[in-house]
Amino acid sequence: MKSELKNLLAVGMFCLLALLGTGCGQEKAPKLVMVTNAAFPPFEYVEGKKIDGIDPAIIRLIAENLGFELEIQDMNFESLIAAVQSGKADIAAAGITVTEERKKQVLFSMPYVVTKQVIIVKKDSPISNSADLKNKRIGVQHGTTGDMYVTKNIQEPERYANGPLAVAALCAGKLDAAVIDGEPAEVFVAQRPILKILPEPLTAEEYAFAIGKHNPELYSKVNSELAKLKNSGQLDEIIAHYRQTHSQNAAQTQALDKGGLWEQLRSSFEINFVKDQRYLYLWRGFIVTLKVTFLALIMGIVIGFTVAVIRSAADQTGKLKLLNLFCRIYLTVIRGTPVVVQLLIIYFVIFGAVDVDKVVVAVIAFGINSGAYVAEIIRSGIMSIDRGQMEAGRSLGLSYAQTMRCVILPQAFKNVLPALGNEFIVLLKETSVSGFIALQDLTKGGDIIRSQTYDAFLPLIAVALIYLAVVMLLSTLLNGLEKRLKKNE
Amino acid sequence: MSEVIFELRDLVKSFGSLNALDQVSTVINRGEVVFIVGPSGSGKSTLLRSLNLLEKPTAGDILFKGSSIIKGHLKINKFRQQVGMVFQHFNLFPNLTIHENIVLAPVKTGRFPAQEAARKADALLERIGLLSKRNAYPNQLSGGQKQRVAIVRALAMNPDVLLFDEPTSALDPEMVGEVLALMKDLAQEGMTMVVVTHEIGFAAEVADRVIFMDHGKIVMEGSAEAVIKNAQNPRVKEFFAKVL
Repeated sequence: MKSELKNLLAVGMFCLLALLGTGCGQEKAPKLVMVTNAAFPPFEYVEGKKIDGIDPAIIRLIAENLGFELEIQDMNFESLIAAVQSGKADIAAAGITVTEERKKQVLFSMPYVVTKQVIIVKKDSPISNSADLKNKRIGVQHGTTGDMYVTKNIQEPERYANGPLAVAALCAGKLDAAVIDGEPAEVFVAQRPILKILPEPLTAEEYAFAIGKHNPELYSKVNSELAKLKNSGQLDEIIAHYRQTHSQNAAQTQALDKGGLWEQLRSSFEINFVKDQRYLYLWRGFIVTLKVTFLALIMGIVIGFTVAVIRSAADQTGKLKLLNLFCRIYLTVIRGTPVVVQLLIIYFVIFGAVDVDKVVVAVIAFGINSGAYVAEIIRSGIMSIDRGQMEAGRSLGLSYAQTMRCVILPQAFKNVLPALGNEFIVLLKETSVSGFIALQDLTKGGDIIRSQTYDAFLPLIAVALIYLAVVMLLSTLLNGLEKRLKKNE
Repeated sequence: MSEVIFELRDLVKSFGSLNALDQVSTVINRGEVVFIVGPSGSGKSTLLRSLNLLEKPTAGDILFKGSSIIKGHLKINKFRQQVGMVFQHFNLFPNLTIHENIVLAPVKTGRFPAQEAARKADALLERIGLLSKRNAYPNQLSGGQKQRVAIVRALAMNPDVLLFDEPTSALDPEMVGEVLALMKDLAQEGMTMVVVTHEIGFAAEVADRVIFMDHGKIVMEGSAEAVIKNAQNPRVKEFFAKVL
């Protein structure tokens, strides 16, 4: 039957995408995959196209000495441990504090930095030490030791994706205090004269690299290399170098708070988009967002049509019972779980052991997700068509599939076009969670700019305007299509 | 009598505990024009729809040109290509033009090559005076025009028999005439027709045979004269007294 053919096609497409992805994983020199969260200066941050900072510099040296080709991937901080545990990455280097809980999950190298979690408040704040934090609004970076400490010893904090966001919230008066690492805290406070760091740190802690427990060889190699760097003084050199460059950068960005409103806006625009060609983050992210949305859209339509036809055929003819069961399970599972969770499962569990291009992962995740919604939209379209249409087609000797294709689906499609358009708009915006698997889409592009300039306002507005423009363009195109189809009646 | 098109043997169709058709047996011959009449809910539409298996009979058998369409390995689409059906609500395909409506089935089923089907469609449209509407869409037509197009759409398949399911019930009164006129033409050309209708006057004029149904059974069948005018059966008599 025709519907089964379509189904095969969808499965084939899935396999093809998977193959395309795995095909890219051919390597020559042994590769060392390092994961980090590049929003933690001076330990790691994005500079141009490259991730730089203390951690990347140290690992680059170690990789060189061990004869590895280094690949650095950027992802959310709370995903780092999972990435080395699952073997997605070999080593996590992101200013990770050694804790008892984390020790149960990964191997920690010897510490390379001793640092502290500090409390940042506004200069006029009544908070003077950690005892005053009780019942105040405290912001932390999600998954950090600051988060763990506050959660355990004080109260539930407000968890932000990265340090700059927590500091921005503090500046905006949404928080009474922000708890973040001492190193970047110095930078933030240097930029924002209204902030200060409390003299008494919340905790003292050690940073180390995390390595999967299945990989003790790498662990001992990294440790011995690290020891060599320590002894030769190279380690301290690297750390000092990055701290210095970063406080220089910070001094440049201080212009933010000076001058009149117009002048401020102009210089803010300059810093956020023009300086270091930062607009390129938005542009590249925009391309990735479009690519993911477009391909996921096509996949969603193929899956959606197939599932809708199978479900309708099963309802109308009583055949295809098994396929129908699969479709119903698919719909229940996909519509019953959040797309972020699906994305993470596909990346870390299903493609956990293979090296797949993240765009492919995102397309598969969003395509499968969208397919479920498209399926129900199309099915409602099919059900909205009068039973007499199918009877007329069948009475003329057309097969079920022929009637479906030539008579029912074209009408159904026209009826559900507004709902489909809505689904496409939702899909476009949903791809903004791609950052969870460290895909640099439009939203993530804005995040990167924010992490460099510590300015929440302009990058967010720019990202919002770009989404809005695309959605408006899409709506216009759909309206045109609707009008054209309406003429044929 | 000539070739047998349909032979019904003890046909039963149940919906739950209700027997819409209860042991119905009859024969439709080639060239015959048979009208099925009776009160609503008597099973006449179910009987008609069973003839091309839009309803699947619960028991009994239907023979089409001598072979069973229920038992055995019948290709249902091939069979239906030989049996045209006209519906109460026309059921034209609103996404296709009038011309496309007519050629869709002949071409897709491979019954006629595209060119021949197109020529034939134009000839049929010419015949019903709607050639000028060949590129219009169904919603631009009046009810009577739609139903005439639906009839020639069925004719375009060159069927052995045409089934009509209350073809004028959904029409405005002033449009009933044009549809009946076309049906009468077809009857006079020797088309085999089975018609379910409430147009008793039309049945009396055109029918070779009238079947009167009630409660899923054939109560009486015979010439129009015998059934409509001179029935002795009290139920039949009462029905026609009311509708005529």
